Amino acid sequence: MKIPTSLWLVASLVLVLSASGCSSVAPWQRGILAKSQMALDIYPVQSTFKSHIYTSREAVTGNSSAGGGGCGCN
Amino acid sequence: MAVIKTGYKKPIVIKKGRLLIETVYKRLFGGQLIYASKPKKTATVSSSLQALTAAALTLPGLMPLSANAAEEEASFLYGYYEEGSRNLSGVKSRFNPIAVNSLLGSSTIKLADRIKFAFNYAQDTWSGATPIATAPLAFGGNGDNGQGHLVGGATPYLVNNNVSFDRQLNPLSNSGAKNIQLAHTISSASPETRNQGDFKLGYEWDEAALDVGGGISEENDYHSQFGNMAGRWDLNHKLTQLHLGQSYTNSNTTATLDHDATPYIWETSTGFNAFNRSNHDFQLTKSGGNTFLTGDRQDWRTSLGLTQIVNETALIEAGFGFSRGTGYMANPYKAVELAYIAPGQTANVLTGQTVGLLEERPSERNQWIQNLRYVQHIKGLDAAVHFDYSFSHDDWGVNAHTFQSDWVQPIGSGWAITPKIRYYSQSAANFYTPYLVTIQSPTFIYGANGQIIGKQFDASKLPTYYSSDPRLSGYGALSGGITLSKQLVAGIRLEASAEYYTHAGSLKLGGGGEGAYADYNSYLVNGVLNVDLSSFSTAVRRHNSMSMMSSDDVEEDHSAHSMSANHSNHGNHGAHAPAGVMFSHMLEKPNDFMVGVRYMRDTQSGNILQGSTNVSNLTLVNNACGGNSKCYDTVRSMNMNMIMLDLMYAPTDWLTLMLMPQFVDMNMSSRALTGAPTPTFNEQMLIDHHTLHEHTTGGVGDTGMYAMVKLFEESGHHIHGTLGMSAPTGSVDIKFRDTHGIDVGFQHYGMQLGSGTWDFKPSLTYTGNIDRYSWGAQLSGTKRLQNSNASGYALGDIFQSTAWGSYGLLEWLSTSIRGVYTVQGAITGAFNGAYNPLGPIDYTSNYGGRYWDVGFGVNAFVSTGTLQGNNLSFEWLQPVHTDVNGFQLPRSGALAATWSYVF
Repeated sequence: MKIPTSLWLVASLVLVLSASGCSSVAPWQRGILAKSQMALDIYPVQSTFKSHIYTSREAVTGNSSAGGGGCGCN
Repeated sequence: MAVIKTGYKKPIVIKKGRLLIETVYKRLFGGQLIYASKPKKTATVSSSLQALTAAALTLPGLMPLSANAAEEEASFLYGYYEEGSRNLSGVKSRFNPIAVNSLLGSSTIKLADRIKFAFNYAQDTWSGATPIATAPLAFGGNGDNGQGHLVGGATPYLVNNNVSFDRQLNPLSNSGAKNIQLAHTISSASPETRNQGDFKLGYEWDEAALDVGGGISEENDYHSQFGNMAGRWDLNHKLTQLHLGQSYTNSNTTATLDHDATPYIWETSTGFNAFNRSNHDFQLTKSGGNTFLTGDRQDWRTSLGLTQIVNETALIEAGFGFSRGTGYMANPYKAVELAYIAPGQTANVLTGQTVGLLEERPSERNQWIQNLRYVQHIKGLDAAVHFDYSFSHDDWGVNAHTFQSDWVQPIGSGWAITPKIRYYSQSAANFYTPYLVTIQSPTFIYGANGQIIGKQFDASKLPTYYSSDPRLSGYGALSGGITLSKQLVAGIRLEASAEYYTHAGSLKLGGGGEGAYADYNSYLVNGVLNVDLSSFSTAVRRHNSMSMMSSDDVEEDHSAHSMSANHSNHGNHGAHAPAGVMFSHMLEKPNDFMVGVRYMRDTQSGNILQGSTNVSNLTLVNNACGGNSKCYDTVRSMNMNMIMLDLMYAPTDWLTLMLMPQFVDMNMSSRALTGAPTPTFNEQMLIDHHTLHEHTTGGVGDTGMYAMVKLFEESGHHIHGTLGMSAPTGSVDIKFRDTHGIDVGFQHYGMQLGSGTWDFKPSLTYTGNIDRYSWGAQLSGTKRLQNSNASGYALGDIFQSTAWGSYGLLEWLSTSIRGVYTVQGAITGAFNGAYNPLGPIDYTSNYGGRYWDVGFGVNAFVSTGTLQGNNLSFEWLQPVHTDVNGFQLPRSGALAATWSYVF
């Protein structure tokens, strides 16, 4: 089982980010981050629908660990 | 002054802006603020203080993973997806490409301060045509059963043809010219519906959260059940979040192979053609006239993610996922065209024969996915730009890149517009092949009398794995879309979105994608209604009862079932109308809103009735199908599920407006009638088509628009009238797929999703109550305003009367009993296109009737606590007498359930 190079890149990034505790954004500086447009998933219900369509039409099964989703055989 | 509990030792104290603080705090983090002093009724907040408080409030949590995920919420989505026609090299398919109607409903509630429960329901109905196989154009696989018609896919024509190649194995056309152009063979499917229910139970600590969930997905040919667990840890003063998820899914395939295709499909592992197998072998089972392919699979998925605040205006997320699937991983509905070429041929033109093979995929797949998200605020525009990239690699050889970018632009007054662009590219699986060529001659298999009963090929001379599923080919896809969202009033948000998608081999990253024959375009649209329940938690709540529908109601718009409209009252806690009564109450005050969901299930089964009497099969054969025709089959059972949205608004205290979109799905099974005359070949094929398969339909139903006007109100007594229209948004042209080259035509009248006509729907409702007792009565009707719909017929008019009484057992719980009488006319007109009547359900005189029902209901209203303001009602409608027009299936009963929320 060969692990792709890009995986190591992402793993390295995760480590770098973990170490970024030094990035100091004080609590009172997080007003912009709290805006709804800054959320990682802006429209979560739509995302569920669209990712079901994508995974039925494309070879990638998605990164969700939720499970389910049906056959999508047709 | 407010004190905000944080992960820090010292609380943050804010003296002003309490309302803002509370709202923002709850939206972001949930939980309660502790007030150091009595809150003031109004708050005057300077803009600078607002900014400060909003900023300060972000402290306890990091950032919401999904912007619009409130503490307690209910969401409803309708989505539609449709593909464009495929290029069949000059052959025009008369089948509509695949289309999907999707419903998603989800709700999240707090069971306790730190415990949340979420439930989701999803339904998809798929119908239409997709490629079943691919072959050189010279094979003629895109034609119509070899008849030379310029129509593709009348049956999946997996040709068993003589074909020619040159010595380099390039296919040759009839003229002998080399022609390497490929073409799909298209197969059309009748509608099929999938239902999924899943839940999640979550517990939150100060700096961590754990969710445990599971669910079931059911469709005719595929069943899966799954469980999952996900954790979140806040680190580094909540600048960092770590996510870990794990899921397990177990799935079973029980696919009925297309009986039009089985004669041409060969069972892969043994080399026999499937059509000649009389008992089961490794992959296939023959039972009751059908050929089944069964298989099990297991899927494990693990995901690990890390979200990090980069600075005051940006955040980033990196994730890694691994999924492992084992078991039956193939697609039972895809075939691979195989050409045999007999060895030892010396001429320049090699001749061979073609067959279709069931595809063969590895029984294991390991997939690694990495993804990166970056969100940056754009100062000045107050917009946010999102970049997502993911890379997936698996041991089937598929490497896929996905880029997506969204620009979220608030434009004032609660509106936001979000354009989106997405690019996807994948390489082909290493066993993907459009078709196969093998140098061998099949061995003939002889029966006891020396006749040829089959052929067998040497599977060892083929690749171990092969698939022609275009989804495993190399291609790219570019899509663009836009989402418009509007915050209507506090806590209610509407979203509308559209996306256009282009799939093309030429769009593959780095080139080398599949040929243009596999290109297609598609689009999807969706609308979302989201209610943030937590935003109302401190509001003064009143409650209104809701209603539902009787089995009689259902028939109104869905012919084979019965349904119409009833109603009742509202207002005080002692007066709940039963769940099956529609339009039962008005809103009390100007500018009140109500959202509600109604669910109704109507079931029919048993011996066929003539009027009110059971009749024999022979009576049905001779009398139930018109004067000159005989019946060959009849319905065994029929079920209908309806989900309706109740959206109500009161512009004044004497008028309430109501909008009611409906979503319907139905299924039915049939049986052959003993004593029927010997059918012709075509009739037998059609009878098999009905009796060997359950039929399903589903999608958007008709849409109701109503105005309710208060006519009389005095202590304990209330009368209102309702005038409304039903718009024909439900399909009335749903058709079966072809079978054995026969155009089966329209699905039964009772399986269409709407009336197809504009309908006038008036009603008059009286309600009253004293102490714990309440009662009501209603007259309602449905008048078709057109003589026929686009398919050539009109459902019968409906009249219904109902009366009920209710007793409040507890402050929050009441029970009801109700009587209902409904009369509905027969269908007028008839289908104006291909239609093959074989049973009573296919004749218009066998619709409508007179129905008496008794309803038993319970109603719960939550007047305190976190669920305050919610109303939940159930009613079972038991048929007591039925007098049908002509010959019909009796009703077994109907379940009505409603949830509503007034604010």
